[in-house]
Amino acid sequence: MAEALVIRNLSKRFGGLRAVQDLSFSVRDGETVALIGPNGAGKTTSFNLITGYYRPDDGSISAFGRELVGLQPHKICGHGLARTFQVARPFGKMTVLANVMTGAFLRNKNLNIARSRASAAIEFVGLSAKEHIPARELTTIDQRRLEMARALATEPRLLLLDEVMAGLNHAEIDQAVALIGNLSKRGLTIVIVEHVMRAIMALARHIVVLDHGQKIAEGTPKEVVANHEVIRAYLGTGYRHEAPARGVAC
Amino acid sequence: MKSARFTRSWPWVAALAAAALVLPIVVADPFVLDIFIRVLLFAFIGVAWNLMGGYAKQLSLGHAAYFGLGAYTSTILLIRFGISPWIGILAGGVVAMAASLPIGALCFRLRGPYFAIATIATAQVLMLLFLKFRDFAWGAEGTTLPNLGDAPLMMQFESRAAYYYIALVLLALGLAITYLIERSWMGFYLVAVGEDEDAAEAVGVDTTKIKRHIYLISAFLTALAGTFYVEYIYFIDPNTAFSFNVSVEAALVSIVGGIGTLWGPVVGTVLLEATSALLQSWFGSGHGGVQLTVYSLILIAVILWRPNGLIGLFTELYQRFAYAGAGRAKEVPLDG
Repeated sequence: MAEALVIRNLSKRFGGLRAVQDLSFSVRDGETVALIGPNGAGKTTSFNLITGYYRPDDGSISAFGRELVGLQPHKICGHGLARTFQVARPFGKMTVLANVMTGAFLRNKNLNIARSRASAAIEFVGLSAKEHIPARELTTIDQRRLEMARALATEPRLLLLDEVMAGLNHAEIDQAVALIGNLSKRGLTIVIVEHVMRAIMALARHIVVLDHGQKIAEGTPKEVVANHEVIRAYLGTGYRHEAPARGVAC
Repeated sequence: MKSARFTRSWPWVAALAAAALVLPIVVADPFVLDIFIRVLLFAFIGVAWNLMGGYAKQLSLGHAAYFGLGAYTSTILLIRFGISPWIGILAGGVVAMAASLPIGALCFRLRGPYFAIATIATAQVLMLLFLKFRDFAWGAEGTTLPNLGDAPLMMQFESRAAYYYIALVLLALGLAITYLIERSWMGFYLVAVGEDEDAAEAVGVDTTKIKRHIYLISAFLTALAGTFYVEYIYFIDPNTAFSFNVSVEAALVSIVGGIGTLWGPVVGTVLLEATSALLQSWFGSGHGGVQLTVYSLILIAVILWRPNGLIGLFTELYQRFAYAGAGRAKEVPLDG
C-alpha cells in the first residue's frame, strides 16, 4: 500500500521547550493510526505542525507525495487533510447546516450542491434532526459530530481527529467509535489523538507513542500495550488491555 | 441561509422602496429632504462598513480613509482636469481599492482592538498627508467646488430631489451587493472568518484572501459615498473628508442596527438620525450639551441591552408573532 503521510525528523521548540523532537512516522493509505502519550507529549503540537498551524523548525511532512511544510492551513486542507480541534470550534452563530456548507464550499462553490453535500455529511454523523439549530446551542458530543461533518464536507483523503472522545460518556464513546470505524471502512485514512484506550484498541491498526516530544514506541496495539517503556511513561503498571478500560488517567 | 425569512420580507421591501421613491414628491421642504439624504448616505456607508466589520467582524475605525480618498480623487479630477464626477466617482473607488491593499496587508496582521487602532491610524495619516499637499490638494483651507448651475453631466443639480435619488441608488446598490454576498459562498466564508479564523482555515477558507477581497469591496463603496458627499456640500477639506466621525458613524449605525445583517445599518441610521434630529428640536441648542448627553445615553442603553442590535429585537418580536400565527393555523384543522 502507498504511504498517505510521511513524517521525517520533525522538530519544534517553543523557547526552551522541545515540544516535538526528531519525530518520524508514516501512515499508509486507508490505515487508522493512533498517536498516544501523556499530556504535553507533543500530540496536538504534531497535529498543528502537520496541518500548517505551526511551522516546524526542522524536518519534513509529506502527504500523498506532496511536501506540506510551509503551506498555509487552508492549502493543506485543499490537499485533502482535514482536522478537528481538541476543543470543538464550531462557527457558533451559524446553523449546523451553514457550518458544514462552509466546509463543502472548498470543493464546489455552488450553493445547492454544497447544501446537498453538507446534508449528506450531517446525516452521516447523525445530526440531521439538528440541521437548523445554531451551532452554539449544541451539546459537547453534537459539537464534535458537527466538527467531524464539517471536516468530512471538505472531502478529505486523510482525517486528523484530536481527542474527539474527550468528555463523552460510555455510550457516546461507542457511537463515536462506530462512526470512525465506518469512515475507515469507506477507505478514509485516519490519524487520531486519543486518551480513551478502549477506543484506540478498537480503531487503530498502528500506534505511535510519544513522551516529552519524542517517539518512545510504535507498533500494533498488542505490541504497544506490552511495551515496558510505554507502561512506565503513559499507561501505568495497572493497565491490562482486558480490563474494562475507563480510559487512562489524564 | 435564511431563505424563508427573505421570501416573507419581499412585500415589505417593495413597500419600502415605493415609499422611498415617492418621498421627494411628497416632501417639498428642502431641510427635511436634507435629513433624508444624510440618512441614505450614512446608511450606505454603514452598509459598506458592515460587509467587512459586520460579517467578517474586522472592526475598522478607519473607513474615513476611503471616504476621503473618494472625495479627493473626484474633486482633484474635476477641478484640475475638468473630468466629470461621474467618472471621478468610479476613479475614487478604484483609488480606494488600491489603497486598501497595502493598508489591509499591514492591518490584517493584527486582530481585534489592535486592528481597529491600526485602521484609525491609517485614516489619520492620510488626513495629515492631505493637510500638507498645499499645491495639489489645497492643504488645510480646502476648496469650494465650482458651481456650474444645473449640470447633470457634472453631478450638479438645482433640485435637491436629484441628490436624494443618487443617494437612494447608492444605498440600493450597497444592499444588493450585500444581499448577493450573503447568499453565496462568500457570505458563509465571511461569517466563518468572523466567528473563528483558525477553524475557518481548517475547512479550507483562505482567510487572508477573503479579508482582502471584502476590504476591496468595502473600500470601493465607501469611496463612492465620499465623492457624493463633496458633490452635495460643494466643499472639501481634509478635516471633512477624513473626519473620524465618518469612521465612527459607519461602525455605530451598524452596531446599533444589527451587526452582520442586511438591514442593520439602515435601521441603525434611521433610529440614530431620527433620535438626533428629535433631540435637537426638543432641547434646541439652548441647553448646550443636553442633546448630546441624551443621545449618548440612548447609545449606551442599546449597546448594553441589545448587543445584537435593534434588528435582533425586531426579528425576535416578529418570530414570536409569526410562530404564534403558525401555531394557530395548525390548530385549525384539529378544531374543524
